[in-house]
Amino acid sequence: MRQSYKIAIVFLIVMGFFPLFSNSSWLAVGTTFLIYSVVAFSQDIILGRAGAFQMGHALFFGLGAYATAILNVHFGVPIIYTFIPAILIPLIMAIVLAGPIIHLKGDYLLVATIGFNIIFIQVIQNDIFGLTGGPNGIFGIDVVRIFGVEFMSQTAIYYMSFMLLTLTLLIMRNLDASKYGRAMFYINKDDIAAQSMGINVRYYKLYAFALGSAIAGAAGSMFAIQYSAVSPEAFNVVQSIMFFTIVLVGGSASLPGVLIGTFVMFVLPEIFREFATARYLVFGLAMILTMILRPRGIWPVKFGNIPNYLKKDTK
Amino acid sequence: MDIFLQQLINGLTVGSLYALVALGYTMVYGVMKLINFAHGDLVALSAFAGLTIYVEIFGEGTNSLFIVLSVFVITALIIAFVGVLLERLAYRPLRTAPRLSAVVSALGASLVIQNSIMLIWGPNMKIFPSNLFPSTIWNLNGVVFTFTQVMIMGISALLMVGLYIFINKTKMGTAIRATAIDQDAAKLMGINVNRVIMTIFIIGSALGAVAGLFIGINYRGITFDMGWTYGLNAFVAAIMGGIGNIPGAMLGGILLGLFNAMISGYISSEWAETFTFVLLVVILIFRPTGILGETIAEKV
Repeated sequence: MRQSYKIAIVFLIVMGFFPLFSNSSWLAVGTTFLIYSVVAFSQDIILGRAGAFQMGHALFFGLGAYATAILNVHFGVPIIYTFIPAILIPLIMAIVLAGPIIHLKGDYLLVATIGFNIIFIQVIQNDIFGLTGGPNGIFGIDVVRIFGVEFMSQTAIYYMSFMLLTLTLLIMRNLDASKYGRAMFYINKDDIAAQSMGINVRYYKLYAFALGSAIAGAAGSMFAIQYSAVSPEAFNVVQSIMFFTIVLVGGSASLPGVLIGTFVMFVLPEIFREFATARYLVFGLAMILTMILRPRGIWPVKFGNIPNYLKKDTK
Repeated sequence: MDIFLQQLINGLTVGSLYALVALGYTMVYGVMKLINFAHGDLVALSAFAGLTIYVEIFGEGTNSLFIVLSVFVITALIIAFVGVLLERLAYRPLRTAPRLSAVVSALGASLVIQNSIMLIWGPNMKIFPSNLFPSTIWNLNGVVFTFTQVMIMGISALLMVGLYIFINKTKMGTAIRATAIDQDAAKLMGINVNRVIMTIFIIGSALGAVAGLFIGINYRGITFDMGWTYGLNAFVAAIMGGIGNIPGAMLGGILLGLFNAMISGYISSEWAETFTFVLLVVILIFRPTGILGETIAEKV
């Protein structure tokens, strides 16, 4: 655990000084990277820590973004106040949606969560109540104003995302050190054993869903501010699959792993934009190769020095 | 009543297609406990491969029983080969890895196949030739059905009966069922598990190939990313029926096809996917392992 603290601190320092050395287009990529890392960490709480196969995480990311966009554009609520519903709505929806199906076994849960995401996309594409703007989405989201000061430069948005990521890392650290984090860890290892030790599996899994979704909602709100627009394709199943893949390619429950995963899945495609047509082919090959060479992710998490003969989770 | 009968025909047609594709998912899942996300893309690949074989080898406009059969057989062989290759390269190295690693590998394989189709045949919609099957249309008191639809329902039913007999009555079928129950025990009994897995990939891919050709012939327009749509629906069908269970996949496919058709006929096709997944979640709430999930001990 010590090692991941060091990595987190180095990472935060590097990202903190990043705007000084980059032009505005790289700053935009950096902001997106920060926002997507927050979403990836929130996915990691559900998938990597609690071990619930969630493949619809873009739904909660999107709920946050749409909450900010709808409240600001249609109802004129200042952005700063829309943060609260952008966190609360995904949180409540996570409990309402995941509640009845949280007991499902792995793959069944995975398909049900894909279903939720598809329903969400269909609802916003059909422009429900004339609020979501259909396939085009919503444009013209206001800038953040605090006491009359406008935070509209790319640098300001970058540092707001940076604060959000720092906050997320703090939450993750506290989670790891708390009863909740330990319970999730046991459930992930063996949910039947956890249950028989008196851990309320259903409650902690739902807790992971609610916490992860709330963080994703905050990131969604930030995403809406960054692009000052939201549209359905930013939150479809393909995005969910990306978040799912980030965690597993990087390494479940591993801080450097999730950061590397986000970098590989979101920043590298930005860099290789010239190979637009072939890049997803290469991408797919890379996913297969990574899993064959590093089945537990690029930077898997380590828990102390467990002798090899005691590790049963190689299978 | 006319709407009902018409949608019944349409639903059974699309349901048969879903069932054929769902069988590929369910057989692989039954033996390997892996969601083969690339299966839907094999279906799309089959439509494109069939199109090229028909137009390039036999020439567009020709048609005879021999040509139609050859197109089906050659395409099925090619797709079966790709399926086996997929298993060899992307899944076999991960057989002892954590389960989710294989899922990511499957997602990667899906991207690879989808984008290969796009690079080879281009990103635009291709139109499947209409004259592979005779364009006969019957009209029974206002209910219209085509020769193609009858063929789809008939051949799918035939293939499913054939598969059922193969799984339940042959030696290889018994080996497949044994491997599905317990791979290690099957190995100890002298079953060649690699051969079993190869067989299910051959059968699953070939059934998917037939479905892909039918999709091309019936709906005409084929796109490189259509595998995702059909694959997801078929996969939902397999889950509804109880994944890993062969009769479950058939039942789930037909049920989902009928449900979709009735929704489009009576409510609106705009919300079709929403209704599909609401139905799935409702089924899963009441039967967490699908309709035929636990009630049947035989799992493949």
